[in-house]
Amino acid sequence: MPPKPCALCLKSRAMIKRPKTGQQICRDCFYYVFETEVHNTITEAKLFKPGDKVAIGASGGKDSTVLAYVMKTLNERYQYGLELFLLSIDEGITGYRDDSLETVKRNQQQYDMPLKILSYDELYGWTMDAIVSRIGRKNNCTFCGVFRRQALDRGAAMLNVDHIVTGHNADDIAETVLMNIMRGDIARLGRCTSICTEGEDTIRRSKPFKYAYEKEIVMYAYFKKLDYFSTECIYSPDAYRGHARAFLKDLEAARPSAIIDIIHSGEAFEVKEEIKATQKVQQTCQRCGYMSSNTLCKACTLLEGLERGMANAGITDRGTKQLLQVQQSEVTAPENLRTIPFFNKPFAASGSVDSPIIIESTS
Amino acid sequence: MASQTPPNISLKIEFSGGLELLFSNQRSHKISIPSEVPKDNNTRLSPPDGSTKPADISYLVYYLRDHLLQERGELFEEDGTVRPGILVLVNDTDWELEGEGDYVLKDGDEIVFISTLHGG
Amino acid sequence: MSTSCGNPAVEEDALMMRKAKFDRSKQCVKCKERQGNIVIRHAVYCKPCFFPLIVARFRKTLEPVVNPKPDGPRKKGLKASGSLVIGFSGGVGSTVLLDLVAKSYFHAPSGDEENAKPRGGSAHPRNLTGKDSSIWKGIPAVCYIELSGVVPGSMDKIEEARKIVEKYSVQEGSFSFDFIPVRIEDAFNEAWWAELEGVDLSTAARSLGIDIADEFIPLSNLPSSSTATSTPLEALQNYLSSLPTQTAKESAIQTLTRMLLLYTAASRNASHLLLGTSLTTLSINLISGISQGSGFSVNEEAYEEWTHQPRSLGAESGGVPSKVRIVRPLRDVGSKECGFWMWWCHLNAVGKKRLASGKQSIVSLARDFIMGLEQDFPSTVSTIARTCAKVTPKQKSDTTCILCERPAQHDAQEWKARISIRSYCDEAFKDSGHPLPPHLNEFPQGKEIAHNGSSLLATKLCYACHTTFTSRSSRGNMTGKGGDHSISNVIPLPTWTLTTVESEILASRKLDRKDMRKQIQDFILDE
Repeated sequence: MPPKPCALCLKSRAMIKRPKTGQQICRDCFYYVFETEVHNTITEAKLFKPGDKVAIGASGGKDSTVLAYVMKTLNERYQYGLELFLLSIDEGITGYRDDSLETVKRNQQQYDMPLKILSYDELYGWTMDAIVSRIGRKNNCTFCGVFRRQALDRGAAMLNVDHIVTGHNADDIAETVLMNIMRGDIARLGRCTSICTEGEDTIRRSKPFKYAYEKEIVMYAYFKKLDYFSTECIYSPDAYRGHARAFLKDLEAARPSAIIDIIHSGEAFEVKEEIKATQKVQQTCQRCGYMSSNTLCKACTLLEGLERGMANAGITDRGTKQLLQVQQSEVTAPENLRTIPFFNKPFAASGSVDSPIIIESTS
Repeated sequence: MASQTPPNISLKIEFSGGLELLFSNQRSHKISIPSEVPKDNNTRLSPPDGSTKPADISYLVYYLRDHLLQERGELFEEDGTVRPGILVLVNDTDWELEGEGDYVLKDGDEIVFISTLHGG
Repeated sequence: MSTSCGNPAVEEDALMMRKAKFDRSKQCVKCKERQGNIVIRHAVYCKPCFFPLIVARFRKTLEPVVNPKPDGPRKKGLKASGSLVIGFSGGVGSTVLLDLVAKSYFHAPSGDEENAKPRGGSAHPRNLTGKDSSIWKGIPAVCYIELSGVVPGSMDKIEEARKIVEKYSVQEGSFSFDFIPVRIEDAFNEAWWAELEGVDLSTAARSLGIDIADEFIPLSNLPSSSTATSTPLEALQNYLSSLPTQTAKESAIQTLTRMLLLYTAASRNASHLLLGTSLTTLSINLISGISQGSGFSVNEEAYEEWTHQPRSLGAESGGVPSKVRIVRPLRDVGSKECGFWMWWCHLNAVGKKRLASGKQSIVSLARDFIMGLEQDFPSTVSTIARTCAKVTPKQKSDTTCILCERPAQHDAQEWKARISIRSYCDEAFKDSGHPLPPHLNEFPQGKEIAHNGSSLLATKLCYACHTTFTSRSSRGNMTGKGGDHSISNVIPLPTWTLTTVESEILASRKLDRKDMRKQIQDFILDE
């Protein structure tokens, strides 16, 4: 068979079967459409304005490495006028995060971007290694997820940036849509497809890879020979990935457009007004000032549970209740409990004068 | 193996909801199986050597697959139990109330398998 | 960053705890006396309490939508505006539905009185007489869609289905359901369509098909070999085998079945079409639909109102559009409960082969996934349905899909073009002013797509139907010819779509005449 010409430029030889469209295209056209689609995502959602300071959540993994590279490329090509930073969270996982942080440090050199590393140890007084040795491997991913989210915001505040971009890709979003439907999580279902989320007290956070297939991100990194770290977290065994991801992969194998089709579905609907009215109002955590749906945010609840040796607080309803009972039985909180420093949204980002007043933390 | 052959138990088996198509299109079957069966549910060994257990529904599922099923076993048995979407009744009661696969069969039991896979 | 552990679900604390199958006691939660016989989502019920429970759920879903306008605070009698049609596939759900409808609203004897009748307080005697059959006008009908034309090696089961329906006739001749067998290939049967809608397709329309090798799906003439001579079954098989994926094939069969039922219902002036979709099937349909991009019509999966536009082109009046409500009265009853009802009431399903597609189709993947989930987490299935009942489309629909006749979004094509660039040649891409790819000196001059706007079907399809025609499998070509992009692939259209296409062309011609008249009206004397 003669070599097939690229379905896009009709000139070069097709080298890739594009996972997203099934088209046979050349390598250069692949880079070009991949980048252009990310650009479309950014401009369509009007994510940035010139002069914005943007932190790229960087783990050293494929998604965030490709994101840093593409953000830099697009910023130059389309003259976004952005000031880009790398922001890494050190969860404190020996043999995993310490190695991947080396990758991020190389990225800092390669992409010439300032890097900020914030550790769980610094912020919460606990590394993931310490958490796992305390609670075992059962719910450690919950701790890690909740802690990471807040750590990112706090790191961004330290960098004084307006915006955080993360490497969430189309597969992640499609999985979340399915997951939220199956778990009946209406609040998250309503917002999981939005490209940009902005809580009252948090920094804008968006996902430029919202429509980028995981397979294409890997392909991009592979052909561009980008330097990334590909080991899986030692505390996140494969088996835990659960139903939804495996199902999604099956769907993609049956019909590759399924991923994008699920996102389209998720974008087509919203939570009914009458249901929204019954949802919990977002408030700020009494203790640390971070956004929360209760008086105490999830991170503070988890941390207090750790400190008190009640690791189920924030994990199960019963565990949270037990913690509440203990709290109510005390006149004053014990002195030796570590807490999270109060969260201040950077002035520049809030754009409003009435940013939260600084209160000394309880400890 | 000089020990006496364990007594057999008689069972009435019913298939419904289209499941009968896999069993020679016959809804009702009368079968007889050993009361003591291999622990690993091997239905070909007779009499059993090695360790045994009283015949339970898990064994019955294997037995039906190996001895009564006409075609496409994967539509009946999956991962050592009935395929999701197949209901099981033990003497007119949901097997979930009777311990599912661990239910120990008694002589004269009526076991019903109903497929709900043919939805709407 | 947050994906760094390779497990994004973690952030949503994706902990699905596996609970015990039932809550400790084996005693019935309702009467609190008898030993239970069935576990329904962790709750235990005895057999006598089971029947009224199911009847109550069935009526609670159906009865509020029987009257044309919902009741006020005071409950009035049930009075529908039209007749009743029940969709019957012979599967577990519709077998139970038929039984429930017959026993609840029509005098329904059964071979085995003692066991067949729901016991307890469920069946108010006044509702089991013929009296309440006056809820709906005319004779209620059961419409059976025969799928043997599309399932290889399956047998025609029309007579078996007829026998099941006839069991509900009253011997003295005072009551029976009309039995209407329809074959899936009737979707391409002009004679069937002409009889139903009173319209003949024009010669021009008969030769029309669509080219699904082109993203825009232009209307095109069918190869002459495949028109005049082909039977409805051949047209259907041509249609299905040309679709690019197994998913497309199965979802096309679902759409055709639904539309055949709807047009049959309209032909009988039905106000209600009842389907035997159980809670389990509903959840499967929801997940399958969402995975095929039909999130916009997620509400329609549970309940919908379809507007029938009479097609008689000859008559200027055209007739008044009528509405058919598609109700799924078992949407709160799981497939497990249906299976138990069937067994305890001595009902038989029509044993049928189904398309064996395994992991190749989204429809069957969703089915296996939900069935497995139901086994491990019995409440997930109802959670899916409840969650989807809490959402609503973001935008108002301004168009109806020409194929599935569900509400559609007008900007679906634009969205697709932006998210996945498929060509440097189309207008949308050119207008966006992107710089050249570094390896090119100019954009390719490729085959400029010169489409006449009015004859493109893509803009008249909903996202999901468009995806059905155009989205390809990763495994290269299917057995059909759908895989090759470059060769035109013209396939026939179902009769209702052809008629809509035709009437829109005709309508535009009429408009032309009106415009002409406007221009010359000053010169025309009053008649």
